[in-house]
Amino acid sequence: MDDNPILTALGKRLVSGSLSDAAVMQATEATPNYSILPWVNVVKIGGQSIMDRGREAVYPLVEEIVSNLGQHKMILGTGAGTRARHIYSLAIDLGLPVGVLTVLGTAVAWQNAQMLHYLLAQHGIPFIEPEGFNTMPHYLMERSAVICQGMPPYKLWEQNPDKGRIPPQRTDTGCFLIAEVFAARKMIFVKDEDGLYTADPKKDPKCEYIPRISVEELLALDLNDLIVERAVLEFLARARNVKEIQFVNGLKRGQLTAALNGEPVGTIIYRNGGAQ
Amino acid sequence: MSTQQGGAQHVQSSLMRESLVDKNVIARTESQIVPILPDVNVIQIGGRSIIDRGSSALKPLLDEIVANQPRHRMVIGVGSGVRSRHVYSVGLDLGLPTGALATLSAKDAAQNAYMVSCLLAQHGFVYLEAPFVVQLLPAMLAAARGAVFNGIPPYALWEHPPAVGKLPPHGSDAGSFLVAEVFGARSLIFIKDVDGLYTADPKANPQAELIPEITAAELLQREISTLPIEPSVLKLMTHARQAKSIRIVNGLIHGNLTRALAGENVGTLIRA
Repeated sequence: MDDNPILTALGKRLVSGSLSDAAVMQATEATPNYSILPWVNVVKIGGQSIMDRGREAVYPLVEEIVSNLGQHKMILGTGAGTRARHIYSLAIDLGLPVGVLTVLGTAVAWQNAQMLHYLLAQHGIPFIEPEGFNTMPHYLMERSAVICQGMPPYKLWEQNPDKGRIPPQRTDTGCFLIAEVFAARKMIFVKDEDGLYTADPKKDPKCEYIPRISVEELLALDLNDLIVERAVLEFLARARNVKEIQFVNGLKRGQLTAALNGEPVGTIIYRNGGAQ
Repeated sequence: MSTQQGGAQHVQSSLMRESLVDKNVIARTESQIVPILPDVNVIQIGGRSIIDRGSSALKPLLDEIVANQPRHRMVIGVGSGVRSRHVYSVGLDLGLPTGALATLSAKDAAQNAYMVSCLLAQHGFVYLEAPFVVQLLPAMLAAARGAVFNGIPPYALWEHPPAVGKLPPHGSDAGSFLVAEVFGARSLIFIKDVDGLYTADPKANPQAELIPEITAAELLQREISTLPIEPSVLKLMTHARQAKSIRIVNGLIHGNLTRALAGENVGTLIRA
């Protein structure tokens, strides 16, 4: 195998060595990073924060998405929300494991994606399942946007959290990983707060607003509550493509557009060595 | 059952309006887990270690699986081997990201799993893709004599970015572990081409000693540079709720699988 002229030097190590060898893993660092969809923006629409509010929150946001179709290409992922909280609570009471909770929670994010899809259908925007992602570039070129449910397709293979039974990688993480694998231009989370605070602003009126922070600093603060799943921060810290993620208030008209246009609205969490 | 608060329409539940990121909320989401398939044994057949060796290694192992069918219910996860190493090599050279590599590699394990299912078909084993594992595994086990599945978890483009390098951290060992964990399986046995876990790589260092039993946490601390299983499995084990131990046995030695299924001390036992 060593004199195989077709394989690269790294290829020879991969074929003949152990993949758990730390030196082989390290050697894969020195390969190029190709950006698959560098012009796409991943926009995550919150479940509890946006979809559960119904028409009052969703209609204006849909209008804003439509008004951006000519300028920006978007992968729209949806969160789950209050029905996921109900079924997690019920499933935990029934003694079901984390993987089953993920299967159940995925159905709720799927319902929200379907509803958003019905509202955008007349603009030719398709809903795509994880298995259909390879047709996505075509839809993005032709129609500027696609809708997917935000949950990563881990199903029964979801991993246990450190504590408790809530699946640790949910719709924030699923959308983030889409942005990372395609090397997206932006990762924007649309929620119902202006951004990140030192505590939950719905419960603690004395909490302070954080407009911009590095992921390393934020992890070091070890806040009790956050605007985003902790797995997103963990993955952002070691990401190769995504340099920053942005959180905007979807209840305020114009914030999503501003973020798509590159303005520093809401909160930006960046990784060190990332874009300033 | 539904209630309007803060502009959103909520469904009443113990988690209503709660932040699922709040540590205090997370801490109270515990309960006793009910095993879903407690009599099933998950057998993971290595791609590189067994399948790539062809008939001489695989046929006797499959005969042993068939011989154990009357006593033990088995689902068989299959790994990818040298073809995954090759597609990693080409993919990395092209600059493709981890999620793309994971999607490519999963096809190699699917090919291997499909071959195993063909060889076991006359004994009533079926091949199940991930969606069918979710929907049909219990029904298939009631109707069929066993099942073969792709060991690589269906993470695809959503594979986690690794801490170092670009290789997908969750291969078929991690996938088989997660299947055993979620179903609350009776046992999880990894079939490899070494007698178990050694203090160093036995192929490179003849002085390496076999470790008959160890905990995942101890093993993580030892930082052995090459392991016969994926390092991600050890991390998963530290959070195990149901799959509290795994056994690694040498599938090239006839009788090892039978002994492992019978609960005998063979190979290496890693405890959570």
